[in-house]
This record gives sequence, C-alpha cells and structure tokens, in this order.
Amino acid sequence: MSGRVHTKTIPPHERISSFAPYVSNLDDRLAVYEASRCLMCFDAPCISACPAGINIPEFIYRIKTGNFYGAAKVIRESNILGGECGYVCPVERLCESKCVRRNLNEEPVAISMLQRFAYEKEKLKGLVKFPKSRPKNKKVAVVGAGPAGLSAAYELARMGYSVTVFDSNPRPGGLLFYGILPWKAPWSVPESEIGLIKEYGINFVTNKKIADLKSLLKDYDAVFVGVGATKSQKLGIPGEDLNGVYPAQEFLYSVAKWLMGEGKAPDLKGKRVAVIGGGDTAIDAACASVRLGAERVYIVYRRSLAEMPAVPYGRNQAREEGVEFLLLTAPVRILGDKRVKAIECVKMELTEPDSSGRRGVRPIKGSEFCLDVDSVIVAIGQKPDEDLLKSYGVKTEKGLIVVDENFSTSIKGIFAGGDAVNGGETVVEAVAEGKKAAAAIDKFLSGGKNPKK
Amino acid sequence: MVSKPDISVKFCNLELENPYLLSSAPPTCTGEMIMRAFEAGWAGAVTKTIKPDKTPVYDLKNRFGVMGFENKQMIIFENIEEVSKRPVGTWVNEIKEIKKKFPEKALIGSIMAECKEEDWEELARVVSEAGVDMLELNFGCPHGMPERGMGAFIGQRTELIQKLTKAAKRGSSVPVMVKLTPNVTDIAYTAKAAEEAGADAISAINTVLGLIGINIDTFEPMPTVDGMSTFGGLSGPGVKPIGLRCVAQIAQATNIPVSGIGGITTWKDAVEYLLVGAGSVQVCTAVMWRGYRIISDFVDGLTNYLADKGFSSVRDIIGKSLPKLTAWSKLNKDYTVVANINKDLCIKCGLCYVACLDAGYQAIKFEQGKSAEVDEEKCDACSLCTHLCPVPGCITWKKVAKQVSV
Ligand SMILES: Cc1cc2nc3c(=O)[nH]c(=O)nc-3n(C[C@H](O)[C@H](O)[C@H](O)COP(=O)(O)OP(=O)(O)OC[C@H]3O[C@@H](n4cnc5c(N)ncnc54)[C@H](O)[C@@H]3O)c2cc1C
Ligand SMILES: Cc1cc2nc3c(=O)[nH]c(=O)nc-3n(C[C@H](O)[C@H](O)[C@H](O)COP(=O)(O)O)c2cc1C
Ligand code: SF4
Ligand code: SF4
Ligand code: SF4
Repeated sequence: MSGRVHTKTIPPHERISSFAPYVSNLDDRLAVYEASRCLMCFDAPCISACPAGINIPEFIYRIKTGNFYGAAKVIRESNILGGECGYVCPVERLCESKCVRRNLNEEPVAISMLQRFAYEKEKLKGLVKFPKSRPKNKKVAVVGAGPAGLSAAYELARMGYSVTVFDSNPRPGGLLFYGILPWKAPWSVPESEIGLIKEYGINFVTNKKIADLKSLLKDYDAVFVGVGATKSQKLGIPGEDLNGVYPAQEFLYSVAKWLMGEGKAPDLKGKRVAVIGGGDTAIDAACASVRLGAERVYIVYRRSLAEMPAVPYGRNQAREEGVEFLLLTAPVRILGDKRVKAIECVKMELTEPDSSGRRGVRPIKGSEFCLDVDSVIVAIGQKPDEDLLKSYGVKTEKGLIVVDENFSTSIKGIFAGGDAVNGGETVVEAVAEGKKAAAAIDKFLSGGKNPKK
Repeated sequence: MVSKPDISVKFCNLELENPYLLSSAPPTCTGEMIMRAFEAGWAGAVTKTIKPDKTPVYDLKNRFGVMGFENKQMIIFENIEEVSKRPVGTWVNEIKEIKKKFPEKALIGSIMAECKEEDWEELARVVSEAGVDMLELNFGCPHGMPERGMGAFIGQRTELIQKLTKAAKRGSSVPVMVKLTPNVTDIAYTAKAAEEAGADAISAINTVLGLIGINIDTFEPMPTVDGMSTFGGLSGPGVKPIGLRCVAQIAQATNIPVSGIGGITTWKDAVEYLLVGAGSVQVCTAVMWRGYRIISDFVDGLTNYLADKGFSSVRDIIGKSLPKLTAWSKLNKDYTVVANINKDLCIKCGLCYVACLDAGYQAIKFEQGKSAEVDEEKCDACSLCTHLCPVPGCITWKKVAKQVSV
C-alpha cells in the first residue's frame, strides 16, 4: 500500500500574478516511487481509457526500472503529442478515472505526472524519432495544424507520404498556443513536439487560410481537414453585443496573442467578470481573468456542481484562485448602454433525472437578480466556422463535419477529425482521430490494400 | 482480563527481562552506547567484537551499502566493517562500569583472535574477568577477518571451531556462546561441532557473504573504497529467511540454547525466531536504521501479541513451531486444494491471470472489467496467484477431493 505523490504547487495568491505553470514536476525519486504504485495490470483499463491507447503500464514500468528514455519511447509511439498531453489531459475523466488503484480505495496512479516526467527526461536527450518508411510518391494536404492535423501529418509523413500542412495562423499548433494557456503546459512543450514533427520532412504553409477543398484535391491525392471548432456558441440573450462581452474562444485567443507579444489583452484590471458556462473552457477563462487582474470573477452555471463538466482539478484551481461559483444560476440578459454594466440572472432548480440520468433544470419564477459586472465571457461551447464548412461543401450535422468510421467525409478523398468533427473534445482525442484518419488515408491511397512497408 | 504476560526469559545463565539483546555491532561500540541502550530498555547487549591489541584492524572509510526495492530504501544492508579497534584495556574498564551501573542487565563480551589457542584462552580470561555475564566467540564475520584466518575462516572449519571453543572455555570464567556463520553448507553440522566442544549456547546468524551491488555508471562494486570494493556481509530484512532456517536447523540438531539473529526488524520477526526455537534474539541493522528506541515497540508488541494469543509467558512459544517443520518427503501428498477468488474483493487487475497464464497452469479466466475466476479443473494449487494478488484475502484456498493423478 502506498499513497499517491503530490508535488509542490505555488500558492494561489502568488501564482495568479503570472501565467506560468505552478505545479512542479516529479523528481527522479518521486517518479520511481509513484511508478511503483502501478500494479502493471493485465489488459489494463487505463489503456482503454486513453484515446491514444498509450501502453501505460509499460511506460510506467520503465520509469520504475530507471529506463526513463525507454518510457518516453512507449509514449511517443502512441501519441506524437505525448508530452503536451502529459500536461493538459483531463485525466480525471480519462486514464486515471479507470485506474485499478481506485478499486483499492486509493487515489489513482498519477499517470499524467509520470508522463510529464518521461517527456522532461526525453527532452534532455532529444525527442524520440522513429524511422520513416520509403517515400510513397503520393501527396496529402492537411488543413489545420492543430493537434488533429499535426497528428495526421506526422503519421502520413512517417508512412512515406509527401505532406503539406496549411494553417491560417502564423504558427502551427492551433489551440495548443491559441487556447491552452501556459499555466497548464509551458509553450516550450508544444514547440518541442512540433519541432519533432517538422523533422519528418513535412511542408508547413502558415498564414494560409484554405477556403476551397476541391481545388486542393487537384494537387493532392487526399486531404485531411482539422480546422477545429474555434467559434464560441452564442447565449442568444439580449445584450450579447454590448462592449465587454467576449466569446471565450476569442477572449483566450487575444490573451494568448498578448502573451506572445502581439496586441492587447482585454483590460480587466480591477474589473468584475462573469464567465457563463461550466466546462473546462469556462474555468480557463475565469482563471485567465484572475491573472489579468480582475477584482471579482464569477462562474455562472445553470446546473449544480455534480453536473459540471469541468474536471475537479480545474474547479479546485479556480476556487483556490478566488473565483466565485454561482451555481443553479442562468443569465437572462446583459444590461448596459454601450458597455456592460450588469447581468441579470435567474436561479434554477433541478428536475428529476432524464433517461440518460442527467438532471435537467428549470428557472425559479421570481428569483431574478442583478449582478454588477464590467465584463461577460461566454463559455457555453464552441463549434466550427459555419461559413467555412459551407464553402467546403462537406456534409455537416449540427454544425459539425460528418465522417464515417474511417474519418472519411461525404467527399471522396477528404477526411476529417478533431474538434471540427467531435465538437470540441481534447488534445488527445484530436491526436487519436488524426492517427486513425491517417491510417484510413493510407488505406484509401493504397487502393484498399494493406500497403507493403 | 488476563494479567500481563511475562516476557522475561532465562537464556543459559542469563535472566533477561525480555528476549531482546543488541548483537555485536555498531550499536554496541562503546560502553556509553551500551548504557544508553540499557536505559532505553534492551535486556542485554553483546559488545562489538573485542580482539587482542596486537591484532591490527581498520575501519574503511565508507563501509556500508544497501539494496532497496521499489518504495523501500533498504531491504538488505551490507557492511565491510571490521571488529572493534579499541584496546582491550578500554573495554575492560567499560565492562566494569556498565556492570556496576546495570548489574541486572546482561552483558556479553564478543571476542575474536587469530587461530592460536593461547590467544583465545587469554582474551577469554581477560574479558570474562572484567565482569561480563557470558562470552560470545565470533566465528562468523565473513569479510576482512577470514583473509587473516579469523571470523568465518574459523566458523567454516569444524576442527578450528572445536579447538578454539575449548581454548576459550579454558580461559573463561563464564558460559561461552559460539556465534556461527551461515556461509557454510550445513550449519547444523558446525553447530554440533561447537556443542561437542563444550559451547554453552549458539548464536546465529552472522552476516551472509554477498555483493550488494555494482554502480552501473562507474562500474564500481559497492561499497566503494577509493574505486575498489570487496565482498561483504549482508544483514537486515532480506536475510531473515536465512537466519530463521539456520536457527531452526540448529535448534533441531543441538540441545543447547540458541540466540536468534538475522533481519529482526519488528517484534513479529522476533516472534518467528522464538517459534523456531530461539531462546533470545539479537538485533543490529534495525537499530542502526532507527535507533535504540525501537525497543519499546519490540516489548509492547510482543506483550500484546502474547496476551491476544492467551499465553501467560513468552517461554510458552519458544520452539512452538519446530514440530511443524519436517522433511519434504513427509509432507501430505494427498492434500488437495484449489484457489478460490472472492469476486467482491477482486479489483480486476488481471495480475493473477497473467501469472497463471505465463508461469502457472492457465487456470484463471479474466476479462477487462470483470472479476477473475479460477477454473478448478485446471488449478494446480501452486499458490502463485494467492501471493501476488494485491488484495489481502481475495484469493484463498478451497478444499476439494483428491484428484486422480495422471
Ligand atoms: C480554452 C481552451 C482550453 C483547452 N484546454 C484543454 C486542455 O487542458 N486539455 C485538452 O486536452 N484539451 C483542451 N482543449 C481542447 C483542445 O485544445 C482541442 O480539443 C484541440 O486543440 C483540438 O484540436 P484540433 O486540431 O481539432 O483543432 P485546433 O486546435 O482548434 O486547431 C485547428 C487549426 O486549424 C486552423 N484552421 C482553421 N481554419 C482553417 C482554414 N480555413 N485554413 C487553414 N487553417 C485553418 C486553425 O488556425 C488551427 O491552427 C482546450 C480548448 C480550449 C478552447
Ligand atoms: C556494520 C556491521 C558490523 C558488524 N560487526 C560485527 C562484529 O563486530 N561482530 C559480530 O559478531 N557481528 C558483527 N555484525 C553482525 C551482526 O551482529 C549480526 O549478526 C548481523 O548483522 C545480522 O543481524 P541483523 O540482521 O539484525 O543486522 C556486524 C553487522 C553489521 C551490519
Ligand atoms: S490501471 Fe492503474 S495500476 Fe493498473 S496499469 Fe493502469 S495505471 Fe497501473
Ligand atoms: S490478482 Fe486478485 S484482484 Fe487482481 S484480478 Fe486476480 S483476484 Fe482479482
Ligand atoms: S494456485 Fe497456481 S494454478 Fe491455481 S490458479 Fe493460482 S496460479 Fe493458477
């Protein structure tokens, strides 16, 4: 029996003065200790719970034996963004949620901490590079250099395809830079992993927005689309167009840009901010507001804590950093002339659970109240750019690209994955979909036959 | 309520308030240390081995090594330390002082000399006359000393054991205990040789000859002294099975008391030694690791154990397990059981499955997310799964009718 390791964290009042990471990594001794908590389960449920299917007991066993680089190899083999994922995966609902240690009434093995550790060790020696297959004389275009596109591009390049990646941003990475802020993962992590991907001889074309896919198909044998879901959903309540109302994605995008030295972040110094929503993005937007100097930050969420989709880890972080949770509270309208002055909310009550077990909510009549705020950040979900998908001509459903089990869209030769397909999941899910789509593209380009290596 | 069990023992001539002695080792290096140990509650102590002043000894700078395992920093300890460097005269004075301040505690003088009878006889005389209650002859140290014809060099040769035991007996005015080395083919044989030569008691084991490890970065064996090393003596938790086996063998083969030593870290280990016939026990490494203060739990744990088990005296458990030790050929071949998994306790790790698959009889069925299940037809009752299942009490035995042998 042994308890899980907890590393040092910078106390909340200190950490909020910067966007830097605040959780320290495992040192060798703690890593080996934590690794020895892993039972090395057979057909381990943690592997099934990892979208990328990393052989978790294998890499942890290698840490236990002191074979740190070998551990990194196991991770990299399954997940080309394994370092980033070690930092940003919401493991409480992925691998760690299924760890067998929990059945022993213990905390799960700190899988992501160990994954980070392996990555940091790997970086000291140079990230693991695998051999490439012989060139295949076929060209694939990848639209979008987020995790999904990067993963597909890497897999295809490794198989020997000639790959060109287009991205409308000045740098590849998608939300790894323009969404996930550095307190979760220092940007040096995606930078190093994108550097590794580039070593496979992929052609990156940045600042290039692709609006037409069919013409791409003239120059390329297949196309993978990983354009993400970067448009925030709208609340659809009065006042949403006032100054001081920010869609979460755009808000975080501008914070990221500002951290890169471009443009300005919204000025929240001494301001009161209401973040609408209960997901991980709402938490991030709230914690970013705290770091921008906001005086009071509220999270306004319609349901109760039990229904909140954000992982407990993030909820704790927000609470520690002084974010106030207004639960069972829904916005009714945003008030103000030109600028936001307040937000009117209504208290909600839970209804009986529906067939899926999730409880609904309904407003309590007469419970309306006003919250004085200077800014409202709307974080109730995201979707892909509707006009873009329309111009692509691929079949969509509820604003998302429709794909079959091979990640093939309605247009032959065009495949898709990541947030644009799943509506906004995780980095690791995007990586996994990019990987599976690459395998399908390979099959497609080799005429359905299993290509000889 | 039952009255508090008596944990005092009589070991040869020694009246011990509890069965716990400090063995001859770093915790008994000086009189001042021994007296502090007595104050802490140890019933007695064996001095660090005293040698004649003419015999040179050295303390190498850095002489210990450890082997850890997973989360454990140390499961086996190694030393290449020699015996006491201190002059006999110093020891004589300190022995007198200790006995004056602690007349009721047992003080045993450990001695060692070269293979000359007159040296052993003389040292036995001087140390016994200083006032110790018993002598212990160190025939066991496996490193350094044997290169010069001492320690295990003697313990590995019955003719030397007998000659030098007799010599010490001639010189000694108190009973003589012989400390044996486990680094022999048959310790029962060397123990009987000591008994025949007149030893009043046996103590075992001294350390087990070993090589604790190699630094794979520098290629230097450990413990490393200026880049080089030598074989050393292993002690600590990992040597307990060797010590237990030796003590049981000695208890079976001889009629003199045995002081059990080797890897005793808790009162539970001590109980095991007592159960296989030790009349007292000695501790070194556990004290090196955490200090004299561990005696309070050694005493309390033993007392509570005896009370829980309904024994009024610790003497009632000495040797209690010995009759249950027999030859392999005498074990019941008609006894048949199969492994049985408690579905409610099973945490679904699949470890029993892979073990039985790769190193057993392919008798366990397992599917992710479901409890493992034993195929009773196939189970050979080897017990592998019962030991590696991480849940205590999850895999137990079920008695079945004897299978027809194939
Ligand atoms: C604030 C925030 C925090 C998050 N935190 C986490 C987290 O902690 N852990 C986690 O696992 N996930 C997190 N996510 C989710 C994760 O970032 C995404 O699931 C993941 O990045 C999706 O990858 P993708 O490749 O599908 O899309 P994206 O990362 O969005 O990448 C899409 C790329 O396509 C490019 N693009 C779009 N349109 C075009 C076009 N027409 N032409 C060319 N290029 C185009 C974009 O510039 C972008 O680079 C977070 C998301 C947000 C918004
Ligand atoms: C550093 C060290 C020095 C020792 N020195 C002696 C010694 O001088 N004489 C002796 O008879 N035994 C010596 N021993 C052996 C111990 O007394 C004891 O027999 C052995 O360590 C096993 O017991 P343990 O597992 O409780 O340590 C020494 C052991 C250690 C670890
Ligand atoms: S489920 Fe937990 S204990 Fe089992 S292999 Fe995975 S990390 Fe290790
Ligand atoms: S080892 Fe124990 S807990 Fe694990 S599957 Fe087997 S019976 Fe269940
Ligand atoms: S006792 Fe041995 S043979 Fe029987 S199930 Fe366990 S491992 Fe398999």
